[in-house]
Amino acid sequence: MNRFLKLIYNENYKIYIRKSTWVMYAILALLIIGGAFLTSVYGDVDKGYDANWREQLEQENEQLLAENEGYGEDEQYLTTYNLDEIEVNNYYLEHDIEPTGYGAWQYVLENAGLLSIVSLLTIIVAAGIIANEYRWGTIKLLLIRPISRTQILLSKYVSVLLFAAFTLLFVLGFSFIVGAVTFGVEGLSPHILLDTNTGLEYVSALKQIMTEYGYGLVNLVMMATFAFMISTVFRNSSLAIGTAIFLMMAGSTIVGMFSERSWAKYILFANTDLQQYAPGYTPWIEGMTLSFSIMVLLVYYIIFMALSWIVFTKRDVAGN
Amino acid sequence: MELVNVKKTIGKKEIIKGLSFTIHRGEIFGFIGPNGAGKTTTIRMMVGLMQLSEGDVRILGKSITTDYKAAVREVGAIVENPEMYPFMTGWQNLMHYARMIPGITKERIREVVALVGLEKPIHEKAGKYSLGMRQRLGIAQALLHRPAILILDEPTNGLDPAGIREIRKYMRKLAEEENVAVIISSHILSEIELICDRIGIIKNGELVAIQGVHDKDHADESAVQRIVMEVKPVDAATRLLKEQFQITAAAMDGSSLSFDENKENIPVIVKALTKQDISIYQIGASNGTLEDKFFDLIGENIIE
Ligand SMILES: Nc1ncnc2c1ncn2[C@@H]1O[C@H](COP(=O)(O)OP(=O)(O)O)[C@@H](O)[C@H]1O
Ligand SMILES: [Mg+2]
Repeated sequence: MNRFLKLIYNENYKIYIRKSTWVMYAILALLIIGGAFLTSVYGDVDKGYDANWREQLEQENEQLLAENEGYGEDEQYLTTYNLDEIEVNNYYLEHDIEPTGYGAWQYVLENAGLLSIVSLLTIIVAAGIIANEYRWGTIKLLLIRPISRTQILLSKYVSVLLFAAFTLLFVLGFSFIVGAVTFGVEGLSPHILLDTNTGLEYVSALKQIMTEYGYGLVNLVMMATFAFMISTVFRNSSLAIGTAIFLMMAGSTIVGMFSERSWAKYILFANTDLQQYAPGYTPWIEGMTLSFSIMVLLVYYIIFMALSWIVFTKRDVAGN
Repeated sequence: MELVNVKKTIGKKEIIKGLSFTIHRGEIFGFIGPNGAGKTTTIRMMVGLMQLSEGDVRILGKSITTDYKAAVREVGAIVENPEMYPFMTGWQNLMHYARMIPGITKERIREVVALVGLEKPIHEKAGKYSLGMRQRLGIAQALLHRPAILILDEPTNGLDPAGIREIRKYMRKLAEEENVAVIISSHILSEIELICDRIGIIKNGELVAIQGVHDKDHADESAVQRIVMEVKPVDAATRLLKEQFQITAAAMDGSSLSFDENKENIPVIVKALTKQDISIYQIGASNGTLEDKFFDLIGENIIE
C-alpha cells in the first residue's frame, strides 16, 4: 500500500511540476476573479437590508410596480423581470424571512458552471497521463520496475481523479475567498431563495452547492475516464482530448438527434445528467428512471476501465 | 541470466528465431549485430516489455513470464535511447525511479550519480542534457537498486571516444567489484569488443556465434590469430613462410606481412626468419580475427 501511495505521489509530481498545469490553475483563477468583478459591477447585487427590512421590501415593491406602469408594450421582458423581483420580495414577507444580501456562498454556487472547465482540464490531464509516457519514451523505464502494470495503470487513474478533486477544491475555495473579499459572507448557515421548477424555495446554500456540483461530477468522471481510455488504447493525447471534448459538448445534441429511436436511452449522454430525476424535472426520454441511468453509467464505466486495463497490461511496448 | 529458446513473432514475421544463451555474474557480455538484427527486440523481452512468443527468460532462476516482479527486481536496463522526463532535473528523474523500488536511499542516489560523473549537472533539467549525459543518467537510473544484471542497449550511441572509454571503465568496475552481469548491445564491434568477456553475434534474429574475447590472450593458446610483421626484405620473408610453414602471407604497405597463425608457432617462425638474415622490426597480433569473423558472419545481413 505504501508503495502504491508512492506511485500516486510520482504521478502527481509529474502533473504539478509542469508549467502547463499551473497555467490551467491561473486561467481558473482569472475566471473566478473576473467573474466576481463583472458581478459586482454589472450584476444586481443586493445591498442587504437592515432591521427595517419589511418596510424596505414593501417600498421596493411599490417602486417596481411604478416602473412597470411606465414600460411600453415592447418592454415586456422588463415588466416580467420586475414581477419576478416582486414575487421574491413577497416570499420573504409572507414567510417572514429576513433576506440576506449577495455574498460568497452565492458566488460559489454561481460558479458551478466552472465545473465544465474543471472537466475540460481533467480531460486534458487524463488524456496525457499515459500517452505522454509513450511520447516521451519514458514508458519503457516506467514499466521495467518490480511493479505490476495494473498498479501503474491504477495509480495513474487515481491521480487523474485526484487532480479533478484538487481542482474542484481550488474552484470552491478560491471562489469563496474571492466572493468573501468582493461581496462579504452571508453568514455561517447561509440560505438562499431558489427559483426552481416548482416555484420559489428557501434552501440551505451549502446543500445547494453540493447538489449542483455533485450532479456535474457524474459527467466529469465519465468523460475523464473516457479520455483516459482513449489515451491508453491509442497512445495519442490529442485524439483523446479531441474526442472527449467533442462528445462533452455535443452530448445533448446527439441525444436530441436520436431521441426518437428506441435505443436513445442507452446513449451515455442521455444518462449523465442525473438531475433529470430530481423533483420538478422530467426525464429526457420517457420511461427512464434513476436506477436505469445508474446501471447504464456503470456499464459504460466498466467498459472504459476494462478496455484501458486489457490494452495496457497486455500490450507489447515496442517501437514508438 | 538465461535465455531458453526465445522466439518472437510479430504478425507473420518471425523476428527472433530461438535464442539460447547464458550470462554469468561478473561477466560482460557483448550482444553484437547489425541494425535490425533483433537486439532491441531481444532486450525488450528480457525485461518484460514484450511478451515472448515462445521460450523463457530466467533471471537468477526466476522466470520473467511467470514470476515477473521477482525477476525484474534483479534487472537494471536502458532500452534504446535513454529517455528521461525532460521537464525534471536529473536528480528528480532519479528520485522518481527510486520511489518505485523500496530501500533506495538518497545516499545511494548520490553514489550512482558520482559513479557516472553527473554531480555537476544533476540539478539541471534533463531536457537540456546532451545525449551523452542522458546515457549516463540512464545508466545511473539502471543501477539505483543494485541489480544483479545490467542491460544496456547501445550505450555508446552518441558518446565521444572519451565517454566510451569511461563507460568501459565503470562497466569493468561493476562487473568485478559488484559482481554484476553486464549485457551490452551494439552494432559496432570495435566499440565494445575491448570491454567484453564474451561476445554473442546475432543476425536476422539468430545467434550465429558466441565467442570469448580473451581466448587468444590466455586460455586458448592454440587459437588462430592474425599476425602482422614488419620485415625486410619482404619477398624473402614471404618465400620462407611459404616454403617452411605453408603460410600464405599477404604483403601490406610495402614493409609488412600479414597472416593467420597460431600464437604458439610464432617463436619458431621468428627463429627461422632471423636465421635467414631477415630483419624483424615489429611483430604483433591484432584482433583481426574477431573482426573478420564478425564480418564473415554478418557480411550480408538481409532481413527477410
Ligand atoms: N513492433 C514491430 N513490428 C514489426 N516488426 C518489428 C517491430 N519491432 C521491430 N521489428 C523488426 O524486428 C527486427 C529487429 O529489430 P530490432 O530488435 O530493433 O533490431 P536491432 O535493435 O538489432 O537494431 C527489425 O527487422 C524490425 O523491423
Ligand atoms: Mg536496437
